[in-house]
Amino acid sequence: MAGIDQLKHIVVLMMENRSFDHMLGGLTQKYPKINGLTGNESNPDTNGAIVKVQQNAEFQSQLDPDPDHHFPGVDLQIFGGAPQGPGRVANMQGFVKDYFSQTNDVNRSHNIMSYFAPENLPVLTTLATEFAVFNGWFSSIPGPTICNRAFAHYGTSFGQVGMDIFYILDPILSTYERMIQGGHTAKLYYYDQPSSTMEIVNLLKNQPQIFATYDQFISDCSGGTLPEYCFIEPCYNDHPGADGAQILASDQHPDHNVREGEQFIANTFNAIRTNPDLWMSTALLIVYDEHGGIYDHVVPPACTPDGYSATADNTGTGVPFNFDRLGIRVPAVLVSPWIARGTVVPGTEDPVNAQIFEHASIPATVTEHFLQGDAKRTIREQQAKTFLGLMTGTMRPDNDCVVFGNLS
Amino acid sequence: MAPSRVISVPKTDPGAYNPKRPAGKLLLAQAAHLRDALSKHVDEKPADSKEATEILAFDIASIKTEADVSNYTQKVTAILHPQGAKRPGK
Repeated sequence: MAGIDQLKHIVVLMMENRSFDHMLGGLTQKYPKINGLTGNESNPDTNGAIVKVQQNAEFQSQLDPDPDHHFPGVDLQIFGGAPQGPGRVANMQGFVKDYFSQTNDVNRSHNIMSYFAPENLPVLTTLATEFAVFNGWFSSIPGPTICNRAFAHYGTSFGQVGMDIFYILDPILSTYERMIQGGHTAKLYYYDQPSSTMEIVNLLKNQPQIFATYDQFISDCSGGTLPEYCFIEPCYNDHPGADGAQILASDQHPDHNVREGEQFIANTFNAIRTNPDLWMSTALLIVYDEHGGIYDHVVPPACTPDGYSATADNTGTGVPFNFDRLGIRVPAVLVSPWIARGTVVPGTEDPVNAQIFEHASIPATVTEHFLQGDAKRTIREQQAKTFLGLMTGTMRPDNDCVVFGNLS
Repeated sequence: MAPSRVISVPKTDPGAYNPKRPAGKLLLAQAAHLRDALSKHVDEKPADSKEATEILAFDIASIKTEADVSNYTQKVTAILHPQGAKRPGK
């Protein structure tokens, strides 16, 4: 029986603000199929000097101030500062220039080209090489968090390209509502109340019943009560715990400590991995909401518009945006014992076999798998690539799959 | 059967904890979204209005640090989602 026939649960963990090359680009040297870095990729700085990518990423303090990742800044990063107009070419040459606008320090602006040595990220790089890594998973919008996370929940941002408050007036339901209305189960787990969720004015306010905390996720995994679909949000800020403990942000958003995010990913994986029934019936997707202004070398491809348009005022670039181009590439890893070790899903580097994914792929996959596509959806989501086809007909033996140790 | 491979995960540097870190744009946006949701919640559920009104009187422009954000976020979320205060199984 194929793995997809065994699949009872889809779990999505969405982290914050790191690009593919920054987190996984260093794997290419050992795993050439992974479309990361050769070491020769570069950007010009504001003095015209060539700045190569550097394998010197640090867990904290290197990307402070927070790199720009709002729409105009990402436009500069992608197009290198070429003026708006037909015929301009995306070249991924504006990252250092854009970071200089935050740092006002030429040397510090070079930090945006940093990437991690794979051994410094043992959780993410292990999962990427032990299961499936996507060479072509892009953020849905070349912009910041709120609008990109909306794509993961609804398959659209309803025309938003920023962080503004917006209300959903269209008859497009969130994935959770679709599931529950269809007689299925779904939850959105936030870390705790001091961290809360990033999906507030529409979901937390109007549908609090779909929410639970991360403690409940851990309990649901061990107790065999995990819903069919769930989405996990990491901790977004440093704060004291109820018992006086120091709760660290685990979202990996600069300038939060990347190692704490590694611990969080490992804890989430272990919660599923250590329940044998859950492990054999669950697919875990670990993905980042957007690149956070950090360098990636792959030009975002065009995409199917979702029927909305952002005005020139809203984009801040002087021209409207029709949601016809994806945002910058992010790390994405799919974990299941039904996935062959070392699966690399080709992206734009292999035009013949490319499989392009974005956050609309999340509601698309859940809706196709559990509801046979029965929901009102944007054309963008209907055309989004789904990811469960990566599951094979062979379940890997237990001792062929890793576990993580030394967790907090 | 051979045991599964165990991958050791390094601990986070204890000095990483810094609730006095300035709140970034994402956290400030989150606070604004929470305030908006709370104001509408009060309109719809007057029974929750006493505590909520006190929180709404707080000027979110005074939020400077992650500790400030987390304190505000906890208070608003406790009203919008009181179930989040419960420990699993209790």
